Amino acid sequence: MKLQLKFVLYNAFSKAVIILAIGAFLPIIVRQVVYNHIDQRLVARSDKILQIIGLGGLNEIILDQDCSYGSYNIFKEEFLSIEPLNHLDTEIGTIRIEDGERQFENEVLKHRVLSESFLFDNQLYNLEIGEGLSAIEQLNNTIWSFIIWTLIAVVVISVFIDVGFSRLLMRPLYKIINRKLRDTQHPTQFDTTRVNTTTFEFNYLDQNINEMMQKVKDAFLIEKEFINNASHELLTPISVLQNRFENLLAEKNLPDDVADKIVESQKTLRRLSKTVKALLLISKIENSQYLKNEDTDMRLLTHEVLAEIGERVVHKNIYLDEKWDDDFVFHHSNKSLLHTLILNIINNAIKYNKPDGKITIHGFMNAKNNFTLRISDTGVGIEKENLKNIFGRFKRFRPEDGSSFGLGLPIVQTIASFHGIEISVDSEKEKGTEFTAVFPRQ
Amino acid sequence: MNVLIIEDEKSLSHEIEIFLSNEGYQCDVAFNGKSASEKIYVNNYDFILLDIGLPDMNGLDILREAKEAGSESSFIILTARSGVEDKVAGLDMGADDYLAKPFSLLELQARMQAVMRRKHGLQKNTFMIHEFEVDIQNRSITCNGKNVPLTKKEFDLLNYLILHKNRVLTRMQLTEHIWGDILEDDYESNYIDVHIKNLRKKLSAQTQVDWIETVRGIGYRVNA
Repeated sequence: MKLQLKFVLYNAFSKAVIILAIGAFLPIIVRQVVYNHIDQRLVARSDKILQIIGLGGLNEIILDQDCSYGSYNIFKEEFLSIEPLNHLDTEIGTIRIEDGERQFENEVLKHRVLSESFLFDNQLYNLEIGEGLSAIEQLNNTIWSFIIWTLIAVVVISVFIDVGFSRLLMRPLYKIINRKLRDTQHPTQFDTTRVNTTTFEFNYLDQNINEMMQKVKDAFLIEKEFINNASHELLTPISVLQNRFENLLAEKNLPDDVADKIVESQKTLRRLSKTVKALLLISKIENSQYLKNEDTDMRLLTHEVLAEIGERVVHKNIYLDEKWDDDFVFHHSNKSLLHTLILNIINNAIKYNKPDGKITIHGFMNAKNNFTLRISDTGVGIEKENLKNIFGRFKRFRPEDGSSFGLGLPIVQTIASFHGIEISVDSEKEKGTEFTAVFPRQ
Repeated sequence: MNVLIIEDEKSLSHEIEIFLSNEGYQCDVAFNGKSASEKIYVNNYDFILLDIGLPDMNGLDILREAKEAGSESSFIILTARSGVEDKVAGLDMGADDYLAKPFSLLELQARMQAVMRRKHGLQKNTFMIHEFEVDIQNRSITCNGKNVPLTKKEFDLLNYLILHKNRVLTRMQLTEHIWGDILEDDYESNYIDVHIKNLRKKLSAQTQVDWIETVRGIGYRVNA
């Protein structure tokens, strides 16, 4: 998830939480305030009525013969009742205020009710004054709906503002990511110009990435220099020996046994030379010393390779089955490296094949629309436990005959990863081996 | 033909000198850039074998200097440095060929001959070997006007043996020449023997080819 989106979501969420909290507590507070007001009013009224009763007697109010009195206004919002009591529940003068439901003409309404007992003419009376609560509930509902609409409006508006603002704020970060990290394929292409930003963190990040890139670049150049020097230091003595052996072999009257030894030494030297060259090649590819600026037609390339080593196929009487469902031109590739890659795989397929065996080459688009080249043979195969090691440079394993698989497959692996090609291998002992190369989409 | 060998590794320039002298070249050697420049200035060489990793200067500068001074010598760059750019730069500056170390002296001589042929195109491209006429330009071989159909590899093999006639070429040297050095250590295999067998069969259909000699345990030799 993008940081920007996270910011926006977080902001929207936190605002919603705050507004919801206010929404939850506000009605309670409003109710409390309103209740306080009502209660004060009720107490004031009861004081006034008791005062009236004290001054003018109860008869002023009670006209009925049954000595009780009741009155309510037209909307039943307020009522007053005085009823004689037979016994005393609470102490005289105690004021109780609580919510209660009262019935008026078949209508039950919720009121805030004050009740107080008093003594008049040796008769106990109970005074009740009520005030309706429906107005408060309405107020509460109004507040609630107001809060909900405000919430929605605030969240929507703030999401829009946040998106815009965070985009503006994050722009330097995306610049750093795109320009310096994503679009850079090779250390020598590093762009170390500073990204213009007033945000401290981005400045810091930019500066550190620049420093890091410079270090990587330096390390790359040092490695390149090292490879060049190692190349010179290793290959020069090999060169001397090779040429000396050649001159020795041309000596007149060379005894047969000495000639044999020279030939053996040449072979040993050649092995050394090949190993050194293979390691240098791998290092050079990993050091990105090769360009990827060619368009390579994989079918044509495979044909070139086959033309080059086709005689070996014939020599071993191997049947070659070639099938191309799709063609593929690999842009931004290095043709000579890809040639080496295909050559090494096909050469292995020949080398480890049985006489009268078969090699199948199949080029096709796979289910994910990636060009895939599959080269399988009917050769000696590789043990399952050795499969994972065949591309390893250092975890070498040896075939049973004691010879060496060499560095051909590590080279294949290195060229493949240099080009973003995924190489996999499947093999069954005595049945054959299958190499699958999945090319990147263009 | 005179050759200047510019190579700071003395034992290597010594081996090259021995080989080329035996092949009839007049050799001169320079171990550093300074003396090389002086020698190029004073003498007129047909060939300059140039190691570009010299201790005192970049060999490419010698090449540039010489070309600017209008030198008509043919340059072959020899290098053990691995930079891919070196090769491109060298050829761009007008070098005639490029050999990466370690190289075979036989290969060096083959390249030198190819350069000579390219430069002096009028030189004849055909020569006789016993009763056969070899045409290098068209890569064909005929016997009394009758074409002998050879595969590309068979022709390369025969041509290489003829080029180095009277010298034993090992299977490895032949393998290296026709396959390059990309392939795995296959020189133990008998591909070369099979090629030679086929070659003999095709040629002897015309006339006797006992001049292609098998040297026991080592390789083959064309006697002429």
